[in-house]
Amino acid sequence: MPSRTVVVTESVSRDIKIMNRGVLDIFPLALATVPWGVLCGSLAITVGLTPLQAQLMSLLIFAGAAQLASLTIMGSVGSLSSMFSSTFVISSRHLLYSAVFREHVSKSSLSLRCSIAFFLTDEMFAVTCAYMAKHKSFSAVYALSSGITFYLIWNISTFAGIVTGQYIPNLEHLGLEFAIAATFIAIVIPSINNRSTLVSVVTSGLSAIILSIFIEEYALIVATFIGMFCGYLTNDNYQKKEKINE
Amino acid sequence: MNNFWLSLLGMSFITFFCRFFFFSKTVPFELSPKVKRVLSYTAPSVMTAMWVPIVFLGHQESSGDFITSPFLIAGIATIVFSLLMKNTLAVVVFGMSIFGLLKIFL
Repeated sequence: MPSRTVVVTESVSRDIKIMNRGVLDIFPLALATVPWGVLCGSLAITVGLTPLQAQLMSLLIFAGAAQLASLTIMGSVGSLSSMFSSTFVISSRHLLYSAVFREHVSKSSLSLRCSIAFFLTDEMFAVTCAYMAKHKSFSAVYALSSGITFYLIWNISTFAGIVTGQYIPNLEHLGLEFAIAATFIAIVIPSINNRSTLVSVVTSGLSAIILSIFIEEYALIVATFIGMFCGYLTNDNYQKKEKINE
Repeated sequence: MNNFWLSLLGMSFITFFCRFFFFSKTVPFELSPKVKRVLSYTAPSVMTAMWVPIVFLGHQESSGDFITSPFLIAGIATIVFSLLMKNTLAVVVFGMSIFGLLKIFL
């Protein structure tokens, strides 16, 4: 059956294309987090963890901000409960990401859902959403390949931090986080194609600045919610539809 | 550090729980169309809540001035460039080069 073989190779080569896209798209974002990975590794050693324990944090927890916060708490002999609550507050935004992807993965197998969930980071969410907006469809291949690329680079940079320990110059003061800002700007600004998206961007940005002065820990998640609701409330199409239904 | 293994286990569970929660089939409710509409603003809102503090508050970390902050100037340049050009990679490369140059010369 030659025709079937052709179909199979075609879909395989399409998957490889999507895979390459995913790897390429997340690459600048992954590079931007290298200093934080290095910092996670070296800070873990400073706090008194063994190299194995330090690496396991990046291998299993795989959440930069939560890892850094917990290492700081460990360093100051903090309690387990404060470590867990800060991890939950910092990770709560991932609940939103999983809600957004829910309808796209609901028919997938448990193992595929688990893998996508495990590799679900801010950066993977960002590039996958951009891909979805562009191609009007969710791609598990894209999500996984970008997520795994990010995972590898995160763990390699943690390893580098473990090996070099305290000999590392202050990488975090180089301002490499600007790469994250530049990438998110490049994704967000061109995606503003209607008034309600503009409203959600402006309100979430303004509240992020104001809130980070008062409640730094919760600023990100609260600002995100404010932006989402303001966008929803100013969506003309939806309001019109509701009136028609009435 | 006996507590380490417990904290590692706990934190791995919490982060995975947050990422998997709505993928679970045992979460019984279906998300209503209204919730889905609110959720459709997740990506622009969360990304903006991340990049805005870097651009507008980045000067605080290096204790520099607001107006001459490389974060601010390069950030605004990136915004302008992203309006002119739709290619994500080109915008990122442009933004990073401006930032790098400002870091060296300011």
